[in-house]
Amino acid sequence: MNAPLFTEDLKLLNGNHAVAWGVCLAEPDVAPVYPITPQTPILEKLIDFESRGACQIELLTPESEHSAMAAAIAASATGARVFTATSSQGLLLMHELLHYASGARTPIVLFNVNRTPAAPWGFWPDQIDSLSQRDTGWVQLYSESPQESLDSVIQAFRIAEAVNLPVMVNHDAFYVSHSVEPVSIPDAGMVRDFLPRIPREIQLGDGTGRSLGAPIDQAAWNLTRREMDAAMKRVENVSEQAGSEWERLTGRPSAPLEFYRCEDAEIVYVTMGSMSGTVREVVDLLRESGVPAGLLKVRLFRPLPVQALRHALAGTSCAIVLDRNYSPGTGGVLHQELKAGLFGMENPPRVHGMLAGVGGVNVPVGSIAKLAADCRNAEQTAEPVWVE
Amino acid sequence: MEMTKYRDNGQFCSGHVACAGCAEALSMRVILNAVGEDTVGVVAPSCTAVILGGHPMSSAKIPVLHGTLESAAASASGVKRALKAQGRDDTTVLCLAGDGGTYDIGLQALSSAAERNEDILYVCFDNEGYMNTGGQKSSSTPHMATTGSTPLGKATHKKNLIEILAAHRIPYIATASPSHLSDLAAKVEKAKSIRGTKVIIVLIPCLPGWGVADNAAVKTARLAVEAGAFPLLEIEDGVHYSLTVAEKTRPIDAYLAEQKRYRRLSDEDRAALQSEVDDAWSRLLARAGKDLNA
Amino acid sequence: MNKHPSPLWTHLTSENRMTGTWRSALPNYQNQPSPCLGACPVHGHIAEWIKQVKDGDVYGAWVTLTENNPFPAIAGRICHHPCESACNRQHMDETVGICSLERFVGDTALAEGWQFSAPPTQETSVAVIGGGPAGLSAAYQLRRRGFRVALYETKDELGGLMRFGIPAYRLARSVLDGEINRITAMGVDLHLGVPAVDGAALETLQNSHDAVFLATGASLPKRLPALDYANPWVVDSADFLAAPVSEQTDRTGARVIVIGGGSAAMDVARSARRLGRSVTVLALEPEGRLPAQRIEVEEAVEEGVNFVHGAMMKSAEALGSGVVLNCVRVDFEPGDAPGAFSVEPLDGSDFELMADTIIPAIGQDADLARWSGVLDAKGPVVATGRDWQTSKPGLYAGGDVASMNRFVTQAVGMGKEAATAIAAALTPGDARPPANGAAQVAYDRINIAYHDTHGRNRQRNTEIEARLATFDEVQQPLGPNEARSEAARCFSCGTCIYCDNCYFYCPDMAITKLENGYVVNSDYCKGCGLCVAECPTGSIHMREDTSS
Repeated sequence: MNAPLFTEDLKLLNGNHAVAWGVCLAEPDVAPVYPITPQTPILEKLIDFESRGACQIELLTPESEHSAMAAAIAASATGARVFTATSSQGLLLMHELLHYASGARTPIVLFNVNRTPAAPWGFWPDQIDSLSQRDTGWVQLYSESPQESLDSVIQAFRIAEAVNLPVMVNHDAFYVSHSVEPVSIPDAGMVRDFLPRIPREIQLGDGTGRSLGAPIDQAAWNLTRREMDAAMKRVENVSEQAGSEWERLTGRPSAPLEFYRCEDAEIVYVTMGSMSGTVREVVDLLRESGVPAGLLKVRLFRPLPVQALRHALAGTSCAIVLDRNYSPGTGGVLHQELKAGLFGMENPPRVHGMLAGVGGVNVPVGSIAKLAADCRNAEQTAEPVWVE
Repeated sequence: MEMTKYRDNGQFCSGHVACAGCAEALSMRVILNAVGEDTVGVVAPSCTAVILGGHPMSSAKIPVLHGTLESAAASASGVKRALKAQGRDDTTVLCLAGDGGTYDIGLQALSSAAERNEDILYVCFDNEGYMNTGGQKSSSTPHMATTGSTPLGKATHKKNLIEILAAHRIPYIATASPSHLSDLAAKVEKAKSIRGTKVIIVLIPCLPGWGVADNAAVKTARLAVEAGAFPLLEIEDGVHYSLTVAEKTRPIDAYLAEQKRYRRLSDEDRAALQSEVDDAWSRLLARAGKDLNA
Repeated sequence: MNKHPSPLWTHLTSENRMTGTWRSALPNYQNQPSPCLGACPVHGHIAEWIKQVKDGDVYGAWVTLTENNPFPAIAGRICHHPCESACNRQHMDETVGICSLERFVGDTALAEGWQFSAPPTQETSVAVIGGGPAGLSAAYQLRRRGFRVALYETKDELGGLMRFGIPAYRLARSVLDGEINRITAMGVDLHLGVPAVDGAALETLQNSHDAVFLATGASLPKRLPALDYANPWVVDSADFLAAPVSEQTDRTGARVIVIGGGSAAMDVARSARRLGRSVTVLALEPEGRLPAQRIEVEEAVEEGVNFVHGAMMKSAEALGSGVVLNCVRVDFEPGDAPGAFSVEPLDGSDFELMADTIIPAIGQDADLARWSGVLDAKGPVVATGRDWQTSKPGLYAGGDVASMNRFVTQAVGMGKEAATAIAAALTPGDARPPANGAAQVAYDRINIAYHDTHGRNRQRNTEIEARLATFDEVQQPLGPNEARSEAARCFSCGTCIYCDNCYFYCPDMAITKLENGYVVNSDYCKGCGLCVAECPTGSIHMREDTSS
């Protein structure tokens, strides 16, 4: 870790409050938010900031996440910097509008607290809510800790506004959202410089009288997706730049992919979110016992940095993907994505898909460590494996 | 009746794709000109959206967000807050939706915006059904009217959205008709001058949906007003009722006869509808009267 | 910046889309004749001048009115107003009081002293024989066109029947004089008190003028064969009406029986009531079917005139100081031609009436004998062809001498038509404008939503007692506000009133307002017909549009 350029306040914050701090520093103009467990502390903290004058945000408290996202899109299309937050059912209720937001190229930042969707009802960490939205055209970032959530939400605005695509940042329910740790609060002026206000080429009410989203023919609709594709292709680079600048400013690395002891690693665990902390411990234990293991943490899931992954895993014989999600009929989403990403690679690693922690169940260090032994010399299987 | 007068500064453009003789296009003309150019529009998927759009063309001079069906009021709220954040609080936000987008799928968002008293002007073009999808019933479809999904006539009543809105105590609710364009323009201008949530419901006889002749939409709307089937009124703060057209001057028969959707009615049916109109009118008079006595 | 326009944001207006291609019919602005215009004997542009009254432009209304009729104040009092019978407004509430409005305009013109302008007199000269309504109307129309006019009248005063047949309580003499003087002031060569023009005189006049218009009226009273007119108790109605009051008083006894049911009979009866006489009208027609205007009959009844309907006199004889009329009830059958009828006495229905004076008022005949062998006759009138030309080229005839349509306004209309024909004949290359073939505007073409129900503004009559004491006018005029209000009741059938409804009701902004009218933009008009449906006057119609 490099020394930060700015002196930062250190506060003891849970993950959701850290997000609210990050949002406050990003200075959005409008924030429509609907409460839902375990996202609610983000909403409450924002309202607390706003009511105390710590930030100036037009806060809307509509009757549903659907309306929250509708308002977010409209406000963004009118040129506002917009933030919203939700979780699980709320995100799923937004589904229609998630497509709309990306289609309308509105650079909204949404914070999602990953939680099991009903039925049955549960409030536990599981990433299927956001992973099932992978085709909606949103950039997706996953965070491991309160500090990373704060940092990511700020970077998310930078990415969104650079490519005019909405960005969803995710962290796991309770494990991150309600875990308290010391969090460095960046300097407000520094964040302001990091997030310059970029004038929109077109926005509603800009005097040109141009309308957004009017019915269109097939070819023109097709063109909108080609344009989105081009924008998505820029995301990896843009987030790379944002991350390295953030690292320069704060000393905290923020690349799309994070590597832990991957040098010469024969076995690489691939994971996202809170699971990463446990895996770090596993890697240290394995290394102590002479097993060359490493961790590849995916921060940027959408678009998946495929070339970087192929490059990182070249020379690795075994990749173990830990998915805290379950896509019925296929298995773990990250597993599927990684396999697809590595397709056609010369001497690819074997990719072992592990359903670990689905529904928020605890995955102890021992269970993860045991996977290294199980998989080190095993053939990969198409079927996902449920980790006990 | 006074001759029609309203201002037209060219805010609504020729060449739109509304059906020939469409009363909705006519009403849009009045409304867009009455709200003026310092306006941002939000439109829910509907005939209105089709009439306004057709990329790369727009028939409105104001910018319009073509939003989703159930979230017109929420989208309008978002536009308004963004403008406010940019120091442009005086810009009018005009929301245009059909009855499907208002009485049915958009009611939740509208109720919420009304509860928050968002500073928006919400206009519902009420053609009493899902006419853009070929004519199915909505909760605004009146009793006994046939639609694609009520081939034998709707068995239940039209939702009384006006009362629902009044219960929100928003500053201004009005009904209007393409047969009374000066009144429509005046109501839009009045609504525009009020801060908070304003809702205007405009009756739109749909030519194909109701089975009305190409040149008869205005006539049909006029008959509805004159028969008291669609009273023209204003409600301020949810409690102060006033009738714009204070008298019911004809039975409902001529209104029904103008439309094919009531073709199946028996004499008893017509009498029943007349009695429903009479009862509703009495209740309305009582509300308006109560206010006068208050 | 993108090289191509954004597929998300519009950048053009819909004005680039020509929706006019959807259309199969296009609105057409064409003023169409109103029913009143169709019914009017002078073909007056009634809807047009009433609109001017409504707009407060009484002078304009007078100018419009007098294009066709130089006698608005007279016609406003005595016209039989077929226009009102045709008025579309009767289907909504009541007909528009066109006559009362015409009188308002005419009276205003007299009070203001408005005069006709006449172009300089040309060399071309027309002789008009007869100074009644037909002759004066023709003289007026000819002078307006600049012709030299010589007017020949046997009486010492102009006006004909209007002066010598219509009592002052219906038509004040100041009004009559005012409207006649306004015509003579245009420069008419007057020859009053001349001998009746016979065949030889006609020849002479034809030689000294480029055309001659014969309008000598119907001066010979019809006679009842059962009545000996030599009796002192028989008085001819025309003589009676033409006589001064003192003479009328001298010629009548206490009980007067008037025979006849037309306007002249009513005039005689009501004049006699003003002399204090007891008056009974004996008419062939059953009650309600008298040829007189209904209002005349009503006012006669108000004034105490008794009526014996459906009966005829068989004979009359002196009895003591009075006369007894032997009468019988009849079955009355109207004929096809104006004024024609047949009667069948009903057996056993004889009755008697007592009187001191009998005044038959059963109509007048034209005196054709004086032109016997010179002019062809058609029944009781001079035969005329197209354009009122007689059997002698260059000699035209109109009014009662040439027609059985014996109303003042009919005579005015004939005078106008004949003058128009004469002018056309005397002006090389001046073809008469083709008649407007457009259909009259029916009631269903009027959008009555734009016309509030409002009963007619009625003229008031003076009190009956006051009426019977003098020969002053009975009907009192509308005041200016009443006139405006009454004019506002007019639907203006077929006449554009520039209300802008068509402009405001177009969903396609395809109608543009011009200085004085509208133009349809065929690029965008979809042909829906809303403009036609919402037109309050029926002055637009859809016309098939076959252009691509």
